[in-house]
Amino acid sequence: MTPSTEEQDNGISVTAASDIEVDHEQLDISIAEFVERNPDYYQNVFHKVHAATSPLPNTFNWAAALLGPIWGGFRGAWGFFWGFLILEMIVWVQLGRGLWGNPGAKFEERAEGQLEKAAEFKQRAEEALAAGEDATRFEKLFDNMSTAAERSLTEAQILNDGKFMVFLTGVALFVLVKLTQGFYANKIYERQYSKWRIDPEGTESGVKLRNLVLSLVLVTLIAPLTIYKFTVESPFELLNQFPEKEISGYFLEEENETLYTESAKWLEDRIDAAAVAGQGLFDGLTAGVRSVLEAMTLALIVTPWPVVMVVVCVVAWRAAGPRVSIFTGAALAYVALLGYWEVSMETVALVGAAVFLCVIFGIPLGIWFGKSQRAYKIAEPVLDLMQTLPAFVYLIPIIAFFGTGNPPGILATIIFGMPPVIRLTALGMRGVPRTIIEAAEAFGASKRQLLRDVEIPLALPSIMTGVNQTILMCLSMVVIISLIGGGGLGQEILIALQYAAKGPGLLGGIAILLCAMVIDRIVQGAFRREI
Amino acid sequence: MDEPVVKLDNVWKIFGDRSQEAMSAIKERGITKPEVLSEFGCVVGVQKATFDVSRGEIFCIMGLSGSGKSTLVRHINRLIEPTEGKIEVLGRDIGSLSSNELREVRALQMGMVFQHMALLPHRSVRDNVAYPLEIRKIPKSRRWAISDHALGLVDLVGYEDRLPRELSGGMQQRVGIARALASDPAILLMDEPFSALDPLIRMQLQDQFKALVAQLQKTTLFITHDLDEAIRIGHRIAIMKDGEIVQIGTAEEIVMNPADEYVREFVQGISKLKLVKAHSIMEPVESYKGSLEGAPEADHKADLDQIIDLAVNTEQPVVITDSGKPVGLITKPRLLRGIQGGKE
Ligand SMILES: Nc1ncnc2c1ncn2[C@@H]1O[C@H](COP(=O)(O)OP(=O)(O)OP(=O)(O)O)[C@@H](O)[C@H]1O
Ligand SMILES: [Mg+2]
Repeated sequence: MTPSTEEQDNGISVTAASDIEVDHEQLDISIAEFVERNPDYYQNVFHKVHAATSPLPNTFNWAAALLGPIWGGFRGAWGFFWGFLILEMIVWVQLGRGLWGNPGAKFEERAEGQLEKAAEFKQRAEEALAAGEDATRFEKLFDNMSTAAERSLTEAQILNDGKFMVFLTGVALFVLVKLTQGFYANKIYERQYSKWRIDPEGTESGVKLRNLVLSLVLVTLIAPLTIYKFTVESPFELLNQFPEKEISGYFLEEENETLYTESAKWLEDRIDAAAVAGQGLFDGLTAGVRSVLEAMTLALIVTPWPVVMVVVCVVAWRAAGPRVSIFTGAALAYVALLGYWEVSMETVALVGAAVFLCVIFGIPLGIWFGKSQRAYKIAEPVLDLMQTLPAFVYLIPIIAFFGTGNPPGILATIIFGMPPVIRLTALGMRGVPRTIIEAAEAFGASKRQLLRDVEIPLALPSIMTGVNQTILMCLSMVVIISLIGGGGLGQEILIALQYAAKGPGLLGGIAILLCAMVIDRIVQGAFRREI
Repeated sequence: MDEPVVKLDNVWKIFGDRSQEAMSAIKERGITKPEVLSEFGCVVGVQKATFDVSRGEIFCIMGLSGSGKSTLVRHINRLIEPTEGKIEVLGRDIGSLSSNELREVRALQMGMVFQHMALLPHRSVRDNVAYPLEIRKIPKSRRWAISDHALGLVDLVGYEDRLPRELSGGMQQRVGIARALASDPAILLMDEPFSALDPLIRMQLQDQFKALVAQLQKTTLFITHDLDEAIRIGHRIAIMKDGEIVQIGTAEEIVMNPADEYVREFVQGISKLKLVKAHSIMEPVESYKGSLEGAPEADHKADLDQIIDLAVNTEQPVVITDSGKPVGLITKPRLLRGIQGGKE
């Protein structure tokens, strides 16, 4: 019995994958719904795109090639619109420069100035001669100026001669861009169609008059101004610079005040007022941070150095094995031999205090954000800000509120170092499998038990990665906080920087590097054993 | 087997943001599951589930994949809140319990075996089994003793100190079973507990489980895909289709009188010999015209297997008795039809 008759006997028909026909009917209906206008054409080209076996495009869209970005806007393909608008603008600028631009203008201007100067020197020389003085100095200057002017003129000539080449490149680019538009339009549009199938609400489809008008307005607004600005030398002043002074004058009464100075003054007043109003709070914060720092300092600096060294090496051994321990010993020897012992321990104390505070506050926050989607949504921009804001920006308010010295330095470090531990804790919390949480709930676990027995243990690898990241971030702040009076190795580097002292700077830098590596190795080793 | 331990009254569950709207549309217009999906984007998980389970009963729930079995059972310990309907456990309305009371009921009265094991990956097998006890703050010595005993029941002695990931799928499933048994709950919710086990150990566990439930009077809701398993251990079987319970009955009732085509397909091909009892295929004594002198006799609770043993040695029908008195008889044609399964 052959397999096929057997199938028939069972009344089950099986089609081999290779025999399956492509069913265009369903697809055509959906494509027509997507494109709205001109469905026949797009059904045809989408089939071709679907049938393509190579990554090269196999269709050409004349409308897209002719209309360029406007086609993209009309079809709601805004990626196409913006991408090709920029490309076309480059092409048009190139063409404009080739046609009516004046590429040698800058050199011609310079030559003019030089000629003027030369004329001046000549006159001075004549005056000197007339006065019966020695005129050789001015004659020499006149000669030099004249040759410089001549050189500028030839330069301008060469550039002006090259105008035709510029135009030719423009034409070549134009053809290239148009071909790309034509060949890739359908591929890009098909990708938009695939996206639309998954997410019909969030993806633009069909053709809309609104889109057409919008893209036309955008093109007419952007293109002529830009092309004009790039091709014509010295266009209106208005296009070169934002007229903030005039606008300021429009808003404000006093003539010489700008929006900038006004808002800066306003902010300054606010900050001063806040610093006064929150005095107690800020002092309290500083005191809290200082007490943590003092505990760290006590452990690292007040303890006799041989004890600290031995303890650190033993901890390295226990946590990360003999190799890291030997490396730690060598690093400590370097630091001690170069007389950096005390400052390095101060640095470690600073970083340690910052990390301690980050972890103490970061993990609970992370747990909260991991559980509450809403809280996380609100916190996320703040976290982004904490990480992207350049440290120098928040150093200023920190000085205003907390003064200078080590505690404010630690606060600045915390701002930069806390986000990773919060983020990764939240991530770990959200990664705990729903089924396991459910199982614990089914056995009657309370919220606290759930957290302690299930969620935190399962999120632990992620939390530890976060702590490690936080440690590295905090280490990277040691130099910056010396700007606001933070001590330790950072200060050494800062001093070296001020005097451009290469040797001390490098030695101090290596000491920081070694501290960072030792801490990182020990912590990673400890975490690896833990997991 | 009379007082209901678990009682469901018209329970509905609709998944989705617009479940309330969908629910009222169902009530007002009686729209069907696919219509709910297309109109509201909501999935009907369970519809109008009503049944009781009494003390010591094993209530099997069967149905195709996606028919709502897990969803239904999760209502009983309120892992899922019903969209509508009422669930009573041991006489208490589960929906009205405060979170503290609910936790207490879950910890003391209910044990659950999960379809996807759901073991704690960072705890040893023993600590996994002991976890429900730990939640109840039972001291470690007792916890360990109990969990070692439970692991013995599922034949996992020697694996107590391993981590779950070091065990095979079937072994993990047995850890899950031991965990549910360890807390000694009155109600067991078992979501395909034996599905990953080999036939031998599965059979052994089924027998053990049946004995255990009978002995300790545990009320069990038991989800399975395997009709043989349902028949072997279930006192009653519920068959679900698209979230709806289409038939509830003993194995015999369901096999002999399937409620519809779906159930018929479900039960076809099952061997009826041990399942069908004499009383369900017997004819009245009066219908037989011949002599019954010397005919073999069997109790009305005897199964077809036993009737066949009697019938092969004689030309006469088998007389069926109830406490010694004849109540009916089974002729050879009747017997053959009975084996086929209720065809007239
Ligand atoms: N959390 C949920 N959200 C939305 N829909 C769900 C959810 N849980 C289950 N469903 C839907 O409910 C229906 C029933 O699911 P359920 O898990 O109860 O099936 P099941 O009978 O246990 O199937 P299986 O035998 O495969 O385990 C499915 O259609 C599923 O898509
Ligand atoms: Mg299931």
